[in-house]
Amino acid sequence: MTATTPAGPRPAIALAMGDPAGISPELTAKLLATEAVTDAAALTVFGDRRVLERGAEIGGVTLDIAVVGSVEDAAAAGTGRPVLVDLGNLDPTDVPPATASAIGGAFATDNFRHALRHAAGGKAEAVCFTPFNKQAMRAVNTDYDDESRFVRAELGWSGAAKEFNVLPEVWNARVTSHIPLSQVAAAISREAILAELQFTYDTMRLAGVEAPRIALAALNPHAGDGGNFGREEIEILEPAVADAIAQGLPVDGPWPSDTVFLRARKGQCNAVLTMYHDQGQIAMKMMGFDLGVTLIGGFPFPICTPAHGTAYDIAGQGIADVGASVQALLLASRMALRGRATA
Amino acid sequence: MIDDHAAPLAVSMGEPAGIGPDLILRLFSERKGGEVPPFIVYGNAQFLRERASRLGLSIEIVGARPGAAGVIFPHALPVCDVEGDVPDTPGEPQAGSASVVIEAIAAAVADTRAGACRAVVTAPIHKAALYGAGFSHPGHTEYLAALCATDGVTPLPLMMLAHEDLRVVPATIHVPLHEVPKLITTELLIETGRILSRDLAHRFDIAVPRIAFAGLNPHAGEAGTIGLEDRDIIAPAVAALEEEGIAVQGPFPADTLFYPPHWRQHDAIVAMYHDQALIPIKTVAFDSAVNVTLGLPIVRTSPDHGTAFDLAGTGRGSAASFRAALKLADRMAEAGR
Repeated sequence: MTATTPAGPRPAIALAMGDPAGISPELTAKLLATEAVTDAAALTVFGDRRVLERGAEIGGVTLDIAVVGSVEDAAAAGTGRPVLVDLGNLDPTDVPPATASAIGGAFATDNFRHALRHAAGGKAEAVCFTPFNKQAMRAVNTDYDDESRFVRAELGWSGAAKEFNVLPEVWNARVTSHIPLSQVAAAISREAILAELQFTYDTMRLAGVEAPRIALAALNPHAGDGGNFGREEIEILEPAVADAIAQGLPVDGPWPSDTVFLRARKGQCNAVLTMYHDQGQIAMKMMGFDLGVTLIGGFPFPICTPAHGTAYDIAGQGIADVGASVQALLLASRMALRGRATA
Repeated sequence: MIDDHAAPLAVSMGEPAGIGPDLILRLFSERKGGEVPPFIVYGNAQFLRERASRLGLSIEIVGARPGAAGVIFPHALPVCDVEGDVPDTPGEPQAGSASVVIEAIAAAVADTRAGACRAVVTAPIHKAALYGAGFSHPGHTEYLAALCATDGVTPLPLMMLAHEDLRVVPATIHVPLHEVPKLITTELLIETGRILSRDLAHRFDIAVPRIAFAGLNPHAGEAGTIGLEDRDIIAPAVAALEEEGIAVQGPFPADTLFYPPHWRQHDAIVAMYHDQALIPIKTVAFDSAVNVTLGLPIVRTSPDHGTAFDLAGTGRGSAASFRAALKLADRMAEAGR
C-alpha cells in the first residue's frame, strides 16, 4: 500500500535517533507506531536496530518497519512502511543509562549526519530528530554550540538559519540564544531585530501560517518604563518596529515581556519575538511543554525536533509523552509539502 | 466565621486619581460573599464618598478607628480619615492630594505595628505625584521599609510575587537588564535566601521551606560554558545557605524550573531578575497575582498592578489581584498563631 496525503504523496522525512541514554529510543519507536505520523510522512530512520528494538520494548509498541543495511537499499525497501537504515553503530548494552556520555553523543551525531546528508542529497524533504543531550554532543564535537551551528558547518551553509519554538497557538523566535545574559543587551540591534522579524514572518508563511502577527517583547522590565529602566526600547526596539511596519510586516510592540505571551493567548498575535533565551522559553514551556516543537528554519529543508530534552529522570519507564515528537513530525511534513508548492 | 472583634486589615487608599479607590469600594460592596476579610481604609473619607457616588455604589462611609472596624464592616465602610482636600479627578493626579496619600500609608503602618491592624494592604501609588510633597523614597516598598525602621535600622524589604503555591522572589527588580549580572552577588543571594526562608516559616506556616534558585544564564550556564555567574556566584550562595541548614537547591535552568511539575517541588523560587520572576507568575496567574513584601516586621501585600489611570472612575478593571492581596494578607497574618 502506498499511502498518500490529500495533497499528494507523503513527504520524505529523514529521522535521526537521538541520545540513547534518555527517552529518545522509546520516542523514536512510538513515532513509528503512530499512524498520524506514518500517514503524514514517508520516514527513513537513521540509527541502530538494537537500540530501536529496545526502545519499542520500553515504549510497549510493535514496530512495522523495513530494515536495511545501507542507505542505498532504503529506496528499494519502499513498501510504504517506515525504513530503518541500520547503521549498526551502537550496542545498547554499551550505553551508560541516564548519563550523558561520549558514546551516546557519537551515536546521535552519526545518525544526525546521515539524516542531514540524506536530505542534502535530495532524498528527504525534511529532517527530524529525537532529543540530543548537549553535554554528550559536546563530548564528541568540539565547539558544539547548538544544532543550528552544527548543521551550518555540516552543510557548509552561509545563509540565515534560526531556531523557532512552535506551539499550536504561538511561535517564538529570539534575537539572541545561547549566550551569557551579560552579553544580551550588546547583541541587540535594530538591524538584528528587523532581520529576525522578516525571517520569522517568512518561515511562518512557509509553515502554512496564512497571517502571521508578530509581537515584539521588550528587553527591560516594564518595557523600560519610559527610559527609567533602560533605554534600549526607545533607542533600538521602537525604531525596529517602525522599520518593520514600513516594510509591510505585521508587527507591534515592544511589549513588557511578562505579559506579551498573554497577548498570544488572547489571539492578539501568533508569534512573539523575544530578546533572549529564557524570556521566551519560560512562557513557552509553561504553556505547552508536552506539545512544543523546535524548528530550525532557513536551511534548504526544515529541521524539527521536540522542544523538550532527553529526560534522563524518566528514561526506560515507557512513560515518555510522544506528543511533542508527533507535532515535530507533522510540522516538518507540512513545511515539506508547502516547500514543494513554492519550489 | 468572621470575628467582629478581630483586628482588621489596614488598606491604604493609594493614588486617588488611580484605580485603587475603585477596587477598594467594589471589594467592600462584595464583602457579603464572605471572601473579603474585614478591613479599614486609610484615606480621605469625603473623597471616597465622591468616588463611590461616581461609580454608582451605594456605600455608607464612616470615620472609625481600627478597634471599631470589625463591628462596622458588615454595615458600612470604616475609614480612618486622613484630612485634606482630595478632589475626585480620575486619571488626573493632583499635587494637593499627595500629602494625604503619604500620610495614609504612614498611619496604616503605624496602626499595624501597634497591633491595632493585622496587616497592611496597599493600593497603587503614583510616585511622580508624590515627589512634589517631599516624598524622597525610590518606591512604595522602600517607604514602607523606612516606616518599619526600629532603633534607626531600616529592614531590607524583599519582594515576592505569589499566586496560590507559586511564590517567586526576584533578586533584582527595576533595573535595566544589562545591569543585572553586576548586581547579582553571592552576599545578596545569601541574604535573600535567609529572609525568604525565615518568612516562609513565619508567614506561611511552612515548617521546612524548600527554596530553589533559578540560573542567570540560559541552561543555568551549562557548567560555565554559557556565562560564569551560575557557577561562580549563585552556586556558592546555594552552598552557603545549605551550610546554614536551609533547604535550598539550584541554580536550575529557569525555563524548566517553571514547568509546573518542577516548581511544585519548591515552596519558593529565587529569580535573578524582574522578568524571570514575572513571566512565570503572569503566565500562571493572569491578573490575580499578589505582590508581597517580606523582611518587614509587619505583613504587607498589594495588588500586582499599577494605577491604571485610563480605567479609574469607570468601574472597569479587574479586582482579582486586589481581592487576592486581601485574602493573602489575612492568611499571612493568621500564620504562626
